[in-house]
Amino acid sequence: MSALLHRRFTRSDLNALIEDAPATPVTLTDDHRRSLSARFRAVPGSEHRRLDAWAVEQAGRASRAFRWSPSTARRVLGGGALRRIAVRPTLSIGEAVSDEITDQLLRAASGYTRGGSLSSWLASTTVPELGLITAEALNWATLVAETAEGIECDWRVAPSDAFYDVASARTTLRGRRDLMVARDDLRVIVRVRAGTPGKSAGPGLRSDLTIETLVHPQGLAPARFVGIWPDAGLMLSVDGTMGDLRCGARDLVRTAVAQHRFRALIAA
Amino acid sequence: MTTLTDSTPRFVVDALRGERHRRPLVDTTSASGLRSILEDGIFDVLGGERLGAPLVIRASSLRQLGQSTDISLSPFARIRGILVNQILRLLSVGTSVKCPFDDALRAWRLEIGSGDLLEYVDQLGGDERARLETDVTAHSITLVRSLGPVPSRWLPRSAVRATQQLGGGAVILRDVIDLMVGTTTGDVASVALFDVTTSPLGEGAERAMRYHALVQTLRTSLVPLRTSAFSTATGEMWSLDVDTELLVRSAREVLAALELQRSAS
Repeated sequence: MSALLHRRFTRSDLNALIEDAPATPVTLTDDHRRSLSARFRAVPGSEHRRLDAWAVEQAGRASRAFRWSPSTARRVLGGGALRRIAVRPTLSIGEAVSDEITDQLLRAASGYTRGGSLSSWLASTTVPELGLITAEALNWATLVAETAEGIECDWRVAPSDAFYDVASARTTLRGRRDLMVARDDLRVIVRVRAGTPGKSAGPGLRSDLTIETLVHPQGLAPARFVGIWPDAGLMLSVDGTMGDLRCGARDLVRTAVAQHRFRALIAA
Repeated sequence: MTTLTDSTPRFVVDALRGERHRRPLVDTTSASGLRSILEDGIFDVLGGERLGAPLVIRASSLRQLGQSTDISLSPFARIRGILVNQILRLLSVGTSVKCPFDDALRAWRLEIGSGDLLEYVDQLGGDERARLETDVTAHSITLVRSLGPVPSRWLPRSAVRATQQLGGGAVILRDVIDLMVGTTTGDVASVALFDVTTSPLGEGAERAMRYHALVQTLRTSLVPLRTSAFSTATGEMWSLDVDTELLVRSAREVLAALELQRSAS
């Protein structure tokens, strides 16, 4: 059975979700990984596939080509700023965001970046544009920092998103994660999203749960995966049960099929 | 309740949060009461009717409550408002604004990419563009002179969006707060909401101030400390301490706006 919990985003409700997370998370075995790989291999397609929760929520429909903008850069910069604060707690969020942007600009100036990267895009912007990017990154970092501050268990900012290459299937899965909470021996993952959760928010959350589990070296599922939409003041969560993991995997495979169909339609 | 400061603040930012020792404990209980007032009121307005599309309430719906036309809704005034808001965003992170119109336009273009209003600006003739530029510069000077430096320790967030679905999704409250400072994690109320308008302040601005406080309360389940509005047309600032009475009043105003919208559709 798959259960999607819906709560208001308050400090006490978030702590209750973490505290009440099931104590016996499941483990994905090599057989599960092989089975998933076989299913992805069965989906025709010549290009390398990249799937994430957003693609699942969009049911595989092609989204606009990626381009850097203040809203696409804010999570990368905001997350980087929060990781800086973890190392140097005396930094304010504003200082950390500023340092992160300066670091990106330095990378571009030293020539260690490729075209299309965040650093090279930042280097091409003007002072007022950089001001707006800073404002967006500051909004994001403050949002995540305030969410984290209310958590009573140990937490850390996720070092990066979760990436999993499905063996021999030319498929990369990307799972979004912002905060990793440790409760006893268990882990709870928190993901922050802008906007409001739509009807497909549940499948998106489950696919992030599945990817997070696949990325774990022992295949240990997080006890709970919490999605927060601060703009709407809402939270959704799924437990790390085998039912939810299966649902997540199924949705990812379906998305790959739907993507292939859309591409075939466009080609025709 | 209105908090008085001992001395006249020099800058708008100084007046935003007032004095630390006078801040009340954060109110975590009013949100549920407000939600039930709104839900009951929505049921009175809509009954069991199923709408094809949800009714959307924004701060602008309250600004114009009962007015048939509003000059601030002309494209020229909207663009001016957007550009002045971009300047506020830049100032909130300490970016110096040298050419207000050009800087704001660059920032806005980067933010939205393309849009009807941006096209409108691009198609303006020389005279009209010069008029807009002069207008934005004049408003920006008032803002720059009055705002003062925003300390990064105050956690400034600009253009903060909020959406609340009520009545089973039949009604959506949308809001964008121009500038928000203060933390939501402390034991005392410290969040101050700041709205910048290029129109003179009036009843509509007061309703919008209350609306910002209401939506913020519904979104975070915490009552903010203060809601303020600043007019770049007059240099005037209004500030209200948020309490239950103010929030209930705003909930009634939302229901009134909803009723007007329902009868118009």
